[in-house]
Amino acid sequence: MDLFVAAFGFGLVSMSVIAIAAVGFTMQFGITNMINLAYAEVMIMSAYAAYAFNHMGVSIWISMIGGALFGALFSFLLNRVLYAPFLHKGTSHIGMVIVSLAAALMIANILLPIVGYFSVSYTQSPGPTIRFGAFVLTTSQLLIIGLAVLLMLMIHSLLTFTRLGKAMRATAANPTLARNCGIPTRRVVDLVWLITGALCGIAGTVAAMNSESFAVASGATYLITIIAAAVLGGAGQPYGAMIGAIIIGEMTELSAAAISPQFKEVVAFAILVLVMIFRPQGLLARRGAMAAAG
Amino acid sequence: MSYYLTTILVYAGVDIIACLALNLQFGLSGIVNFSFIIFQAAGAYAAAVLSMPPSSQIGGEQIYVLGLQMPFPLPWIGAAIVGGLLALPVGLVVLRQLRSDYQAIAMLVLSVIATTVITNVRPFLNGAAGLSSIPAPLSDNLNPYSNEYAYLYVGITAVCLLLVLFIAHRIVNSPYGRTLRAMREHELAATALGKNPVSLKMTIFVVGGVIAGLSGGILVGFIGTWAPSVWLYPETIILFAAVIVGGRGNNFGAIVGALLVPVGFEEVTRFIPSKFGSVDLPVGFVPALEWVVIGLLIIGFLWFRPRGVLPEPKRTFQGGPAEETHWVQSGRGA
Amino acid sequence: MHSAARTPLRRLLLVPSIALVLLLAACGNGSSNSGSNTGTGPLLVGVIAPFTGADAGLGPAYYAACLPAALTINNNGGVLGHKVNCQQFDTRGEPADAVPAARQMVASNSNLMAVVGCTSDEASSVAPIIDASHIPMFCMTGQSEFNKTPLKYFHRLVPPDEFDAYAMVGNALYQNHWNKIALVFGNDIGSQAFVQPAKTAIEKLGGTVTISQAIALGQPSYRTEVAQMLATHPQVILTEALGQPPSDATYLAEVKSQNGGKVIPFIGTSATVDPQWFAAVKGAIGVDDLVNNYQAVDIGTTFGGPGYQEFLTQLNASASQFADAPKYKQRGSTLHLYDGIVMTALAMTEANSIDPKVYNAKIKDVGNGVSGATVVHTYKEGVDAIKNGKSVRFVGAGGETNFNQYNNSQQGYILVKVDAQGNEITVATLSQEQTAKIIAAGGG
Repeated sequence: MDLFVAAFGFGLVSMSVIAIAAVGFTMQFGITNMINLAYAEVMIMSAYAAYAFNHMGVSIWISMIGGALFGALFSFLLNRVLYAPFLHKGTSHIGMVIVSLAAALMIANILLPIVGYFSVSYTQSPGPTIRFGAFVLTTSQLLIIGLAVLLMLMIHSLLTFTRLGKAMRATAANPTLARNCGIPTRRVVDLVWLITGALCGIAGTVAAMNSESFAVASGATYLITIIAAAVLGGAGQPYGAMIGAIIIGEMTELSAAAISPQFKEVVAFAILVLVMIFRPQGLLARRGAMAAAG
Repeated sequence: MSYYLTTILVYAGVDIIACLALNLQFGLSGIVNFSFIIFQAAGAYAAAVLSMPPSSQIGGEQIYVLGLQMPFPLPWIGAAIVGGLLALPVGLVVLRQLRSDYQAIAMLVLSVIATTVITNVRPFLNGAAGLSSIPAPLSDNLNPYSNEYAYLYVGITAVCLLLVLFIAHRIVNSPYGRTLRAMREHELAATALGKNPVSLKMTIFVVGGVIAGLSGGILVGFIGTWAPSVWLYPETIILFAAVIVGGRGNNFGAIVGALLVPVGFEEVTRFIPSKFGSVDLPVGFVPALEWVVIGLLIIGFLWFRPRGVLPEPKRTFQGGPAEETHWVQSGRGA
Repeated sequence: MHSAARTPLRRLLLVPSIALVLLLAACGNGSSNSGSNTGTGPLLVGVIAPFTGADAGLGPAYYAACLPAALTINNNGGVLGHKVNCQQFDTRGEPADAVPAARQMVASNSNLMAVVGCTSDEASSVAPIIDASHIPMFCMTGQSEFNKTPLKYFHRLVPPDEFDAYAMVGNALYQNHWNKIALVFGNDIGSQAFVQPAKTAIEKLGGTVTISQAIALGQPSYRTEVAQMLATHPQVILTEALGQPPSDATYLAEVKSQNGGKVIPFIGTSATVDPQWFAAVKGAIGVDDLVNNYQAVDIGTTFGGPGYQEFLTQLNASASQFADAPKYKQRGSTLHLYDGIVMTALAMTEANSIDPKVYNAKIKDVGNGVSGATVVHTYKEGVDAIKNGKSVRFVGAGGETNFNQYNNSQQGYILVKVDAQGNEITVATLSQEQTAKIIAAGGG
């Protein structure tokens, strides 16, 4: 029984890592209708950017800002240089997915000769371990959970209370109408890429902190989990992504406790498939903060 | 040299068959089947366990089910059947009224689940190590490493390819194909006309599965090994890139796409030299460069030919709208 | 259907571009057999291994074996006057990509003298191709299907995987007297091969397997698995979980974190004796914990002696071509593949032929030595001895070779630790009786 409680605690950490990433991913999808398969590679690149700072002696928490900035800038450029021109040309939805795949391939393989194939780790101290009951978590892990909660609150405030947030929701719902109402959709889209890019950068750094060791090849494993979490909650819905992250994060750890650890990802994905059967639009399908783009 | 050439030809044949199947499912019917590769894998595994001897007989190092040692062409027929059989439960799960994005993701995730399950349930298909020493078709009578055998294999592959192309052509140009296109373009309208999209999709999904399974059987007979590392989910996306670059909805587009992406791009890049003048490029640089070039080629083709190299032909009707009949004009039947 | 008028034109343009692809493929000399080379053109050693993908770290380790071999050969007159070059052929880590890589390698290069690499990821599909092309190969796969291989050109200087498992068990039970053992292995091809032999051997020899975990590779966290393992209170963990990054790094970091900052002793397979693995785990748990708690098994090498010295000199000299090369100075596979290439060169010299069909059989002789053979440790010594009409036995960087009838060679195992720089330190050797006992218990 203790194992399950501990697993639940670990699930909180997993879900925090997934949530930060999934929310960024789903916002990209919700507002620009892009399934950005290069997302995980940008995460890894940002993790390496943070590593560059960390290696020079900067604390990982400060280096994370470097990672966020890098993620923001790179995602912005990725959209401007690659995605937007293709979208402007009227490339089909599936065509854009393929473009993002090509981008992912290129990013990973340009990064590989630069950073090499040796794995790297951050210089970070886990901080004292906190135990309450059967929960066993280090301070660093608690900080990660806290960071995730903070970011979720910030996104919530952004979408609900700010003008930009409203503009983003309008653009997501109906870009043409939004433009006709005077919303500078192009600038909104740019800002979306900057913000979600920053989330992507933080997510990459946090994920790399969480696994204690990372390399270019880590990207591929992150991608599926992020997509699964985003879709589980309802693609395009940030709150959905948060819920999806909670479910996948917890189910992964709990099933490792309950059955053989080899299958832990399968359980999470099986849940996704079940949800797809019974509620194909995802868990939060009503038009919440952001409508699922049409 | 003919060794490499026949390899390319067989791979081209297999990829073309696979792309034709994907084109039927996706290009023609709009099913974004991101789990496509598992159908090819199922066919390959089926052909393997049907043609291999029982696992205890070959030293027991590989553990797998069946092992029926059937002669060619039975394993290939089995491969096609298994591909179709797999399409049934998958289709039942995902082909309902799912929006295409969600359908795609659900299928992508299914593909990952399949990989994990096969890897970890070791006694089923020998887990991560996969199956090896799979007997080549007709290897009892012929030497599978001779040049003649290689050409024979190319010939058999070509026969299968023509058969599949014939089927695909007939489907695309049949009333059934028209219905599928209609459903792809405007599902609601098609439903209003009385068509049942789910059963339509199910049928083409199974047909695609059968063809994909056959492609797996052909491939596994040639390379003699099959393991989960061969059919990871990115393989599906490469095939999608092929169909899109070549021209979705168009059988010949699928052929062109198959020749360009999985065959052309992936093989041409092997010839990038590892020396630049007299300077050695860093280790691993050229292999990584190969993938960068593949990505660039995909982007390049999509930029200059967004609807594909051979887009789907627009189908128009000759003549104008139907003429009005006289008795409406005469006011009958107010 | 109209617009048919334009389509044939497009198709016409297509045909040449596709033909170009096929033509490029068909480029190269006519015959695909790499026999009968004439003239003084260079010879090629093909390094066929993953250079991209999940096992991208393997290729460079093997390339680092070819470069010093080429240097030592070329500095001493080449092979029968021919210079030796190295070239990478990326299998991308899986059989369906490995097959065209192997065939392209064979087809485009009629001057192949040997092939090295072929890991467990692709050996089953690639070895028959190379064998059918009559090229000697030195493969780095412990898969048991090669224990009795019918392939005449196949050579293996690493023992089958189960022997690593037995050595690890010996390390735990006999060397350290640890009876409660946890098995934590990744679920990939190579790693799972250790589990059953280790389990059987431990249980037969009176130890306890407290838990046997197959962990999914590449997962971002293993916290629950670690908690499960810790709950069984093992004294030692036997492990191999590789990948990029090696999952061992993540797993062990979490062991440290959940066990109050203390790492449980762990024993790795010979594959963990690798600069990449060392760097990753060092980054994850810190160098002190690594040095104090890590042991491994490795194929008996002394990292000393004239053969090793020559290898080391040339390895350092290779840094100009491959900057990371010197890092591999203690990687078993790098040493052994170097030996394989030099052995091949000496076999060619002895046979006085660059036709592999002629010299392949001699490789075994050079490795095992025929009666009256002179023992040599470097290529130069070998060439000189052959010039004086002697036959040679090459004992190189990796020590003695003992090819059996299947061209598999094994030596005893050593039990090792590492120092802070990642250098291997031999702690002990398992005795012959201990080894035999474990093998018998494991059913091997």
